[in-house]
Amino acid sequence: MQTDTFEINRISDKPVIEFKGVSKTYATGTHAIEDVNIRINRGEFVFVVGSSGAGKSTFMKLIMREEKANTGTVMVNGFNLTKMTRNQIPMLRRTMGIVFQDFRLIPTMNVFDNVAFAMRVVGASDKEIRLKVPKALSKVGLGDKAHSMPMQLSGGEQQRVGLARALVNSPDLIIADEPTGNVDPNMSYDIVSLLTEINKRGTTILMVTHDHNLVRDFQHRVIMLDSGRIVADNAAGGAE
Amino acid sequence: MKTRSVKYLIKEGISNTWVNRLMSLASIGVLVACMVVIGLAILISENVTMALGRLEQQNVVMVYMKDYNWALYGDTEREEETSSEETPADTSSDTVSGATTSADDTTSTETPVDDGSDENGIKETDYVIHNEKEAKDLCDKIAALENVQDVEYISSDAGLEAAKETMLQGQAEYFTFLDDEFGNPISAAAKVTMVNMDKFEETLLQIEQLDGVDTIQSNSDLADKINAIKSGLTVAGIAIMAILIVISLVIVSNTIRVTMYNRKLEISIMKAVGATDAFIRIPFIVEGMLIGVVSALISEGLLYFCYRVATEAISTTLGTGDIIAFGDVAWQLLAIFVAVGIFSGALGSFIMIGKYLRKEGSEFAAI
Repeated sequence: MQTDTFEINRISDKPVIEFKGVSKTYATGTHAIEDVNIRINRGEFVFVVGSSGAGKSTFMKLIMREEKANTGTVMVNGFNLTKMTRNQIPMLRRTMGIVFQDFRLIPTMNVFDNVAFAMRVVGASDKEIRLKVPKALSKVGLGDKAHSMPMQLSGGEQQRVGLARALVNSPDLIIADEPTGNVDPNMSYDIVSLLTEINKRGTTILMVTHDHNLVRDFQHRVIMLDSGRIVADNAAGGAE
Repeated sequence: MKTRSVKYLIKEGISNTWVNRLMSLASIGVLVACMVVIGLAILISENVTMALGRLEQQNVVMVYMKDYNWALYGDTEREEETSSEETPADTSSDTVSGATTSADDTTSTETPVDDGSDENGIKETDYVIHNEKEAKDLCDKIAALENVQDVEYISSDAGLEAAKETMLQGQAEYFTFLDDEFGNPISAAAKVTMVNMDKFEETLLQIEQLDGVDTIQSNSDLADKINAIKSGLTVAGIAIMAILIVISLVIVSNTIRVTMYNRKLEISIMKAVGATDAFIRIPFIVEGMLIGVVSALISEGLLYFCYRVATEAISTTLGTGDIIAFGDVAWQLLAIFVAVGIFSGALGSFIMIGKYLRKEGSEFAAI
């Protein structure tokens, strides 16, 4: 997939994520991230790759402020995460949408309510919910499945519901943790295509994946982690 | 937090209680048991307190006054002075008591002596209470003391009659003889009932210090026993309440913990999309409080039924109707039950979910 002129113009110099000399060592003594310096600008689509134990999960947790860096500075959506108090974390999370590998849909709620749930948490009114949820479902191609239960959907469809939930609050940044890990290869392409569409509308996407075919076929920036360090960062597109 | 969010969360809490109805029911069962025991302790305590109150009312003290009769019969200091003034020959000639001797002497002379003393050798300065008005004034002074509930004036004549009624025939005749020959041997008195037996000794001291008070007859043993029972009841009541509240807290906490693990998925999504801790907590607190309130209502009903059966049985077998009516303490009990229920429900949930949110509920890790 070619990077078009629109995409180049859309990417601004303003960083959405910025790591400066970031290290994270767990209480067990494991050095998960070591001296990472990185800058991801608004509107970028970034694949994060690496083998198990490379530090991908810690990298994402630091961005979500589920973990706090031992040294260095982490800036996300204008928040300084190293100085952030526990009470401020929800405000940071409201600026991002998260897509999980295991979908995390509430089995007792239908598709509409699963998406609406993310809006209720931030105090949206019923009117807003009635307006925005169908739009989000239409974006992911599930406009006609609003009343279906998660168990009635395929893996790919369930992940689309997860994507609609991540989108519904119009976040600046979407973090996808191996969103194609539990879906078949054809569906994987659909999911990443959808994310690319969303990215084209200006949302920054950070996606963790093990699937090298996807990385090769969707030519976006690739950050490769190994033993807690960034060993490759190909902003031009394509894995090294 | 917005009103619509609060409404939504309360609805969620109520719905969760229903979804986890088996666990909720188990918690309600244990909470009801705890509350019924608390209620029984309160009802027993109330009944014992009422019985003690009746005992307290019976525990009156008699305050005898320094009136003419006291000077005639009871003033030992004056008797000693009179005896020492007598000649050795006089003393040896009589074998009766000093008081009788002096009275005997004065009645035999029949004329007042020059030093202002009357036919019994008693001067006005020898006693403090000279007439009924002064006696009633002393009663008023006693009545004005803080812990005094009631004071009844008992004149020496009324006192003598009352004393005779309680005596054996020979003793009563002796008192009649004394009264006829020398005058009434019983002093005027004040019959005092106290408000609070805890201040019994303190009040006695205050009465003793009043001018005109001779001796006080009291049953301090009974007062001590009443106070000991009351203290014991209070300590036992507090201990039972404390233990049962802790049990209630543990029970509700465990229910909430199970609910929390059942809703682990929802909590992780909530945290991921930016829910505040308060937003996550409220449904659990509502659930805990609801369990508490439902338990309180069931406990009240159950206790009413049990108490009615028990009081009917006691009335029939013991023939006493001297038991507190449930209606007299119904609101008090309900208030305590609801307070215990809400407190243990809210606090148990608050502690448990707080612990969970701090240590677990990971947003990103697989659950």
